[in-house]
Amino acid sequence: MNSNVTSVKLVLLGEAAVGKSSIVLRFVSNDFSENKEPTIGAAFLTQRVNIDDHTVKFEIWDTAGQERFASLAPMYYRNAQAALVVYDVSKPQSFIKARHWVKELQERASSDIIIALAGNKVDIVEDGGERKVATEEGQKLADEEGLLFFETSAKTGQNVNEVFLAIGEKIPIKKPNEHANNANADGSNDNNRVDITSSDNNAAAVSGCNC
Amino acid sequence: MSFLGSLRQKTPFFDKIAESFTPAISRDEKFKYEYRLPAEENIIDDTNADISFVGAYSKIMAMSRSKTEINQKSPVSYVYSGRLYLTPHFLVFRDAFDQYSCVLVMNLSTIKRVERSPSESHSFALNITLYSGSKISIQFIGLRYRSEQFSHQLKLNLKNNIETAKNLPQFLSTCYSEFIITKNILHQKDLIPPRAGLGQQFKYPGRAELDKEKAKLRLWFEYFKENGQNMAIVKNHMFQKLIRVGLPNRIRGEIWELCSGSIYLRHANSGEYQKILRDNEGKTSQAIDEIEKDLKRSLPEYRAYQSEEGIGRLRNVLTAYSWKNPDVGYCQAMNIVVAGLLIFMTEEQAFWCLTKLCDIYVPGYYSKTMYGTLLDQKVFEAFVEDRLPILWKHIVQNDIQLSVISLPWFLSLFFTSMPLEYAFRIMDIFFLNGAKTLFQVALAVLKVNADDLSSAEEDGTFIAVLKNYFQTLGDSAYPESDDTNRRQITKFQELLVTAFKEFSIISEGMIIQERNKHQKGILQNIETFVKRTQMRQMPKTFNLTDEDLSNIYDIYYQSIETHKISMGTGSSSMSFDVFIQLLSKFCDWCKPSESDENPAFRKQKTDFLKKLFRKWDSNHLGELTLNDVVTGIDNLKSTDLLQLINYFFSLYDTDNDGELHREEVLQVSEGLLFLTEPWKTGRYIDLLTKQSIEDDIAEKLAREKFNEENTTDEIDLPSDVQVDEEKCKIEQSERYLKAASSFLQRSFEYAKSFELAEEIDLINFSDDELDGEAKKKKFNTLKANVALDPTRPKLLDLATFRMIILADETYELFFASTWGSSIHTDQPIENVMKNRPLRSMFDGIIADGRRVAEQVRRRVDSVTTRGSITSVESAGAHTINSGSVLTSSYGSSKEDRFDDLDDFSHEHQEEHEDLLGSSWVEMEMENEGPNSPDRHNLKTVPTRDLDSQGDLIEFEA
Repeated sequence: MNSNVTSVKLVLLGEAAVGKSSIVLRFVSNDFSENKEPTIGAAFLTQRVNIDDHTVKFEIWDTAGQERFASLAPMYYRNAQAALVVYDVSKPQSFIKARHWVKELQERASSDIIIALAGNKVDIVEDGGERKVATEEGQKLADEEGLLFFETSAKTGQNVNEVFLAIGEKIPIKKPNEHANNANADGSNDNNRVDITSSDNNAAAVSGCNC
Repeated sequence: MSFLGSLRQKTPFFDKIAESFTPAISRDEKFKYEYRLPAEENIIDDTNADISFVGAYSKIMAMSRSKTEINQKSPVSYVYSGRLYLTPHFLVFRDAFDQYSCVLVMNLSTIKRVERSPSESHSFALNITLYSGSKISIQFIGLRYRSEQFSHQLKLNLKNNIETAKNLPQFLSTCYSEFIITKNILHQKDLIPPRAGLGQQFKYPGRAELDKEKAKLRLWFEYFKENGQNMAIVKNHMFQKLIRVGLPNRIRGEIWELCSGSIYLRHANSGEYQKILRDNEGKTSQAIDEIEKDLKRSLPEYRAYQSEEGIGRLRNVLTAYSWKNPDVGYCQAMNIVVAGLLIFMTEEQAFWCLTKLCDIYVPGYYSKTMYGTLLDQKVFEAFVEDRLPILWKHIVQNDIQLSVISLPWFLSLFFTSMPLEYAFRIMDIFFLNGAKTLFQVALAVLKVNADDLSSAEEDGTFIAVLKNYFQTLGDSAYPESDDTNRRQITKFQELLVTAFKEFSIISEGMIIQERNKHQKGILQNIETFVKRTQMRQMPKTFNLTDEDLSNIYDIYYQSIETHKISMGTGSSSMSFDVFIQLLSKFCDWCKPSESDENPAFRKQKTDFLKKLFRKWDSNHLGELTLNDVVTGIDNLKSTDLLQLINYFFSLYDTDNDGELHREEVLQVSEGLLFLTEPWKTGRYIDLLTKQSIEDDIAEKLAREKFNEENTTDEIDLPSDVQVDEEKCKIEQSERYLKAASSFLQRSFEYAKSFELAEEIDLINFSDDELDGEAKKKKFNTLKANVALDPTRPKLLDLATFRMIILADETYELFFASTWGSSIHTDQPIENVMKNRPLRSMFDGIIADGRRVAEQVRRRVDSVTTRGSITSVESAGAHTINSGSVLTSSYGSSKEDRFDDLDDFSHEHQEEHEDLLGSSWVEMEMENEGPNSPDRHNLKTVPTRDLDSQGDLIEFEA
């Protein structure tokens, strides 16, 4: 049992229709059905992830995608410890927007915020659709700005858990005294055993491997 | 329901206090806001009056009808004292007692007859009979002639309104209030009920309590009988009470539109909704796309929105609104609000109600920057801090993001937060009392749950508490109570009591006051946010720094005055006129000057700026975006000489074939004349002049030194330099004119030989029999003609153009630095706009003391070796880049002593035209004739500039 839980406030940002909500839905309930609940301002969801012997609890603010809601964004990222910036690999404009969000976060959010970049909808490419943003471009931006980088598919679930795990591993662990030395901060341990358990519904458990 | 009594408005006093702190809004604005009247309903006249209203089917009326005429005794009816207002289409009365006992809002269309009352006293009274049969008597109080005036105005307005009045029956047939009266009193058969909202077909949300529904409807029926309905109704305490207990579903839509005043808009703009839909049928826009995506996500649990019928109505209303108000367009959450409205309203009703909602109830909520939403969250937080200090402390300590949590309550008017049946109850009061309702309910939600919320230490649990609360609103608030009556009080009832009793202190005035307090900060935040965003989305530039870009951004938006960044309204594109203003703010060559008085110059200016505008207009929309302007300025500021020349050339090469036609060459020359005007008139000096001044000084110094036979180790630069300003300026001016004339000369000179080879071939083929002499003559004619012959339009290619520019040091310098450095994007707008202190242009002319010193040394050296001082060499073009750019640092030269220079420039303008003319004066007559009014003075004698033409023409190509 994990007695020590680290809470992480995470905000999702990105252009409309890049799949922010889908990524969260996949992560939180391993589902990809259409989101029936409309997002007004931002939707709040939580998910717990076990990393080694501690638990990271993600408190996710999934922001509305419509352009005009962007001016509300500072409200959401104000206290965030982590941010996931999403773009659509088939829409170059969404990548430009992602670049903007990365800059915005670096300039305005708390200085130690962990930012991950996700190029979503890679399933489209695998289905023969046209990719407009090369993996290298995303990787380059991530390298330049020091971001975590993944190409994901909320539809197939590809890399979705991995993004959150990677973020979770970079989060400084709230250490109760006796665990102080066991923390595996860089997360490079090959033997990571990971359980992802839905917070709402403990029956649905997904396990993934970070490699 | 005892609490209802205490809900009576007790707030006017606080409103008054708050008013004194808020900026004054006009009396008309306040009046229209208070009675929710359309924008054009300004007060024409007002007076004190006593009135009584007798409904057409009221008990009193019935009584009076039953009485025999002989036994006529005036029926008992209440008489109210108050103030009567007349607007173009309304009569409004408000009682003086508590301003809620009798508020009559009556559209003039409902008036059937106005009679002067046979009055026993000398006072002045009117009896009004309405279309419905209701009677109103007005007893004027005050000076008789004022009363006469009032009724005269009323008469005029009634006359003007006759046309509109004809449509009243048609309009009334859409009102349910009219229907229940006709049905229940006149017992008409075959009555068709007016169209209703989706609820009539798909059932209204919530438990169906038909008995209650019927009882409530009956109460409204009774109310209408006594107090009138729809377009002429008295609103009194009962009206408010009936709304507070919850509206019956069938009439809810109409009462909403009556309270919001959207019924007046619908009446006044009959047919407009359908017209908007018709006019925009099939059109697409970003808003339309966004609406389409959200249609299925709007109250999806409600059955109507799983059907084409419901989706279709929702689509119509949202798209129609996006066309009507493109500043707002479509904002997520509007879909939910409209979906809610449409359950009780027809499309047209919902459309006008949405209009009113966006305009006065939740201003700025759905705007492109959503500033209203942000502002009201700030206001809400301020209220929480003030009213619930303990909870607020908890929220702050635990870093709960309250405004993030409460934002959807306001934005979607609780529709997404609580079960619809309760949200609609809140809407009933919201439409009656305005935006304060949202704050009161939101505060009550926190207050009721304060205990649970105080133990929530993170967003998640905080949200969970509230979510659970909203879902159980129908449960008993006191399940443990022994008292059965008490146990029956639901959480929702408890919420209403808390909201409207404990927080009745939150008044409209307080909200306005708080909004004013926070508005500036919010708007500023948005502006800097929008600026950051836009700066990041600017195109890649090569010659502009971040500071330049920031300045351009500021100047750009300052120029478009209609556009409010923070409110997200108005067009953010730039028209040609604004474009000129923009450039005149930071470009020396576009600043207003005396030259603008010269029509020829004005034409040059407009022509050039039009070309520049067209070039910058990347989307060919006749409008520039910020990015267009940034890219454009970036090009002009190019430090690459050739690139800038190419760019200038491309302005004129409209067909992009790399060659300029004859007309275009002339335009180029005019363009150059325009651009160089500030230097030609001596308003600014360029580097060449500066260097020549420095050389002069150096020479003078050198001479002195030579005479003194000093060593040249130390050269003291004089602090006070005497420069012959006039001379310098005349020299510079002549240099620019020379450049202009030689440009033309060279252009055509070169062009002729360029085309000639082909011409000769042509001649050889076609005119074999001609002898040498004739051939030569013909050749000469052709040679002269070719430049002007419209059938052989090609004249000047880019390479040649470049060479011509580079052959003249003034023009070369112009493209290398003079032009670019005359564009001042490096200073914040305030500095650029500020009138820089007028100081003599020639003050501090020696910007580069070292250079002067060097010059002196060189001269002294050469004097000592050669024993004589040679004349000043003119500074070669190769030294251009060595000097610092000076032109920008000179103040604009409106000093008196330069006034005569303006005439000078004017003369030269003409001289140039003469020049222009003289080179093809014959052809002009043959080919163009009267088509060139610009050059009417062709035959004037060439002036001294022509004398120097000889050496100018020696052009080595």
